[in-house]
This record gives sequence, structure tokens and C-alpha cells, in this order.
Amino acid sequence: MLEAVNLSKKYGQKDAVVDLNLKVEKGEVFCLLGQNGAGKTTTINLFLGLLDPTSGKALVGGLDVVENKVSTNQILAYIPEVVQLYGNLSGLENLEFFSKLAGQKIASDELSKLLLEAGLQEEHHKSKLSSYSKGMRQKVGIAIALSKQAQVIFMDEPTSGLDPKATDEFTNICKSLAKNGKSIFMATHDIFNAVNVGDRVGIMNEGRLIYSSHTENIDASEMQELYLKTI
Amino acid sequence: MYKLLFQQFLRTRACQLGLTLVLILGGISIIIGKQFLTDQGRLADQATQMQQEHIERNVKLHGDDLSLLLYYLKFALLNETDPLAGLSVGQSDLNPGVQRIRILALEGQKYDSDLVNPTKLLYGNLDLSFVIVYVFPLLVIAFMYNLFSEERESGTWQMVNVMARSKSKFLLGKLLVRFLLLAGVMLFLIGVGAVVLGVAADTAFLLFTLTALFYLIFWFALCFWVVCLRQNSNVNALVLLTIWLALVVLLPAFVNNYITNNYPLPEALSTMIKQRDGYHVKWDTSKKETMEKFYEEYPQFANYGFPSEKGYSPTWYYAMQHMGDVESREDSRAMQLKIRSREASSRMWAQVIPSMQAQLVFNEVAGTGLDDYMDFLQYMNEFHENLRLYFYPMIFSNSEVASVDWGQFTPEVFTNSNKSINWTKKLGSLVITILLFSVLSIFSVRKLI
Repeated sequence: MLEAVNLSKKYGQKDAVVDLNLKVEKGEVFCLLGQNGAGKTTTINLFLGLLDPTSGKALVGGLDVVENKVSTNQILAYIPEVVQLYGNLSGLENLEFFSKLAGQKIASDELSKLLLEAGLQEEHHKSKLSSYSKGMRQKVGIAIALSKQAQVIFMDEPTSGLDPKATDEFTNICKSLAKNGKSIFMATHDIFNAVNVGDRVGIMNEGRLIYSSHTENIDASEMQELYLKTI
Repeated sequence: MYKLLFQQFLRTRACQLGLTLVLILGGISIIIGKQFLTDQGRLADQATQMQQEHIERNVKLHGDDLSLLLYYLKFALLNETDPLAGLSVGQSDLNPGVQRIRILALEGQKYDSDLVNPTKLLYGNLDLSFVIVYVFPLLVIAFMYNLFSEERESGTWQMVNVMARSKSKFLLGKLLVRFLLLAGVMLFLIGVGAVVLGVAADTAFLLFTLTALFYLIFWFALCFWVVCLRQNSNVNALVLLTIWLALVVLLPAFVNNYITNNYPLPEALSTMIKQRDGYHVKWDTSKKETMEKFYEEYPQFANYGFPSEKGYSPTWYYAMQHMGDVESREDSRAMQLKIRSREASSRMWAQVIPSMQAQLVFNEVAGTGLDDYMDFLQYMNEFHENLRLYFYPMIFSNSEVASVDWGQFTPEVFTNSNKSINWTKKLGSLVITILLFSVLSIFSVRKLI
């Protein structure tokens, strides 16, 4: 579903991503760990088509993102660290707005169901987004991704700043999405959550993917030790 | 999506404040326009009543001498005010709408009016045309300066970028929402103004409305181009406010200055001096010489002969008065031509300054521009001449005051009905500037997305 082939990106003389090769299958959750500036967000932006690679290819659904920006954009969604939406619209209205922007025509009760599926309780659906917590905003972000019927969801530091309960809820939602066939590519600092939610984890340092493994082969404490050694 | 874009924008404080402000200002401007029309109507009514009383009083006082009576009698000429003038007062509050004329030398009487505050010439009135030309662009700037940058600055652009099928459609949607709101408010104000002021739904009103609409579109096109240049909100606001200042205040003031210097009017003084000299010098000139010149102008009166060189003669007195106008005629014509040239030059400059173009078109369709006033002055010459030609034979033949039907002298009304509308000249330059900025915007949007 998602593939990087010798993917590289330079900002001037500085290497942001160097010869990245990885694959994320359908229904798989891939968590990419790394320090600030390791190249995680640049990698996501290359897949989203917001940046063009210096060399190599980013493929989404088998299509080169650079050559098929419109087609690849239709099957992917993005949840940033802080989901910024329109504060003076409600969660339901934001969902309706962004789903329409994506060209989807979804009835109001279906939109409510999507919010419930994303874990946002009904009593909050019609409250203004400016009153939402970070976790609630992320749930709206997930509902937006669902409304787009995206096959691939990119998440950038999604659990940063969430309390343990909200993180747990978020983890369960991600697992549920993967079970339903969505591929998830998550950039994170949160080693324990990465091991918990991910099917595979990778560590990135100075633009290079220096480690990649299935989570069934490693537990959180081993991962933390490895992470601290490699960076 | 448009419904939600409307909701999202309507809930912003900038939108609520902006719309409230322009509705209040628009309402005030309509009230001011109504007040102006009421004043003009009251003046016209008073002129009719005053003329009747004035004639009756003077006929009583000087009923034994027609020539003396006509020295005092004034005949009112009204410059008819179109209801559209309530939307665009222009210079009509500076120039007299009622001119009371004696059959003596005319030139000195033309400019008998109250003193006015000259700064009003630059800033105009708070009429609806002022609100459209000055205030609406500010509102367009307030609504547009962060059209794109707010998305980037608040972080929503990331989501839009990934979710939108067409980002240009999203930006155009935001633009359309803002335009429809402001255009709706503008048309609402024009509509309310038309009803309150009793404006007829004719081609002049259509041109007024279209000019206002195109002027608004021009500002939207200009702002859209600027905001698509990827600057932040602060820079956009600064750039757009600078452009507003230049287009709405500085450039028109510069053009006004340039035209005033480029077309100096020494004739304004020389006309007055020649008219006064032309008359006063005749007191020391032989009556025969004066009368010969007078009869050259009016051979039909030559049979009244030459008065005695000694003593006073009403024929000679009115001939002297007349000579004042004759001897200042060339300077007067030159002055009229220069004033018309100033107006023509303004129109030329206005082709590249949309705010000036809009204001000139508003004044023109409302009949409150400089050209309209010049037409009124031109008509005043005919009005004055007709009065002279009517009374001269009576004065020269020493007719009885009672032989004149004074009841027929009700105020005459000047209506400028010979105006034709050249749509291309009026709207062409606005359309071209809109197209220019639309094309520039297309290139900028392509780079942006």
C-alpha cells in the first residue's frame, strides 16, 4: 500500500531523508521513531506530496506520488500532531466541511456515526471545536480520515500531549482502523505506544532508517534500550 | 461546502463587526442623502413662494418705473436635483441649486453663492457613493487580507491540503463567500437608498449599480492577487492598506493638484475685471459710442435711437450693463473651456484610477458632477438672455409696469436631459483592471497550490 524506494530529500546541502526503503502493507501499522529533526515529518510530507523528493520514489497504492498527486491524494489522509480545524464550527460541521472538500457526500446521521466510530461522544458533536481538548480534536481528525474513505492514514506525533486514558483510547482506535484494512504510518517519540500499537517499528536517525523490526520480536524496554543506543 | 464556508465566515468577529459598521455607515449615508434631497426640495418650494412675494413687493415699491423695477427684480433658475443625487451628492451641495438672476450684467451673478468649506472638495460627503468608494474597499481588505495566510498560520492548510480535491476551488469558494456577502450588503444598501430617495429604476440607476458592483469586484480581484503572493497576514494587510491609501486618497489628490496646476484659470479673475471695467468705464464714455456697440449686438433695437448725452437714460444704463458681459465674453468662454478641459483630464486619469472612475461615474449619473454644473451655467446664459430680450423692448419703450403679466414669472427649472450613456467609457476601464488582476491571480494561485 505504501512504499519508499531509495527515497531521498535534501534541503540545500543538508540531507533530510537518505535512501529510504520501506513498505507498509494493507492493514498494517508502521511506527517510525526518531529524534526531532531525524526526518520523520519530511518522510510523511514526501508521501503526502507536500514535498518533492530529491531522488527516489514515494509510492502510494503503487502510484508514484509526484506523478499522480491527485490520484494518490484521494486514498490518503493525514492527522497532524495538533489537529487544526475551524474553531468556530462544531466537530460535526468540521467533519461535514472536510468530507465535502474531499468530494464525499455523506448524510448528517452518517457523519455522526463516523464521529462515534472515532470515539467522540455524541454530546460533543455540536459543540464548537474551540472548546475541544487535543484528544477530541484528534478524534475529529480520525473521523475526517474515515469520511474520506482513505486507505492510508499518516499520523505525526498523534499521542504527544495526550493523557494516558486518551492515549489508550487512541491506540484502540488505531488498532480498529488497521483491522478494517487501513494502513497507518505513524511518526512518534512514544516508544511504548509505538510497540503497543504498531505491527512494525523503525528507527530513523539523521534521515536514515537504521532499524526496522516486527513488534512481536521486541518488547518496549528492549526497544527503548535499542533506541537510546542508536541515536 | 459553501453553506459551511458562509457559516464559518459569518461567525468570525471581523465579519460581524465589518458588516455592522458598513450597514450603520450605509444607513447614515442614506439619511444624509434624504436630508440633502429634502433641503433641495424645500429650497425649490421656497424659491417659488419667495419669487412671487419678491415680485409683488417690488412692483408695489417701484410700480411707476419699469426700468428701476427690473434693476431690483430677481428671477429664479432652479437646477433640478435628480433623486440619484441623494446617493451621490458630488459637488451639488457646493454649487447653488437655485440661482436668482437680474437682467443686469450676468458674469458677476453666476458665482454669487455661499462660502463653503474647501476641504469638502477633496473628501466629499458621507453619502452612499463615499461609503462605496472609501469604506467598502477597506472592508474587502479586512475580509481578504488573510484569505490564504490564516489557513497557513492557524495550521488548517495542512488538513485542507490533504483533504481538498481542488485547493483552488477551496480558495475561490472562500473568495466567493466574502464577495457575495459584501455584494449583497452593497446591493441591499443601494436598494434601500433607491426606495427611500425615490430613485427611478432606469438606465442611470442601472449604471450606478453596475459601477458599484464592478468597483467591488475590482477590489476583490486586486486583494485576491495580493493574498496569493504567499506573504503572511501582516504583510498582506500592510500592502493592501498602502494600495488603498494610494488609490483612494493619494492618487486622486495628486491628480487634482496636477490638473489645477496644468490648467490654471487666470480667466476667473480677468473675466470679472473685464466685466466690471466693461460696465464701469461706460459711465465715462459717450452714450452714443456705447449705444452703437449695443446696437451692433442687437440690431433689432436700433430703432430706439440714441439717448441724449446729458442725464440718465434707462436704455443707455442697460446697454452699459450689457457691454460688461460682451467685453468679458471671450475670457468667460475660455474659462468655461478650461473648466471642461479639467473635467476631461480628470476623466482621462480616472481610466487608470478605479476609485476616481467610480466616483466620477456616480456623480455623472446623479447629475452632480462638474460637467452638469457647467451645463447649468450654460443654460443660465440662455435664461438670462431670454429675460433681457423679453424686457429690453419694454424698458426702451418705457412701458407701464402694469402692462406686464408678472404672474407668468415662476422659477424656471433646468433639467439636464440630453445625457446619453456610453457604457464602454463608463465601465470599460473597470472591466479591464478586473481582467488584469484576475489573470495575475490565476498565475499566483497556480504557484500557490
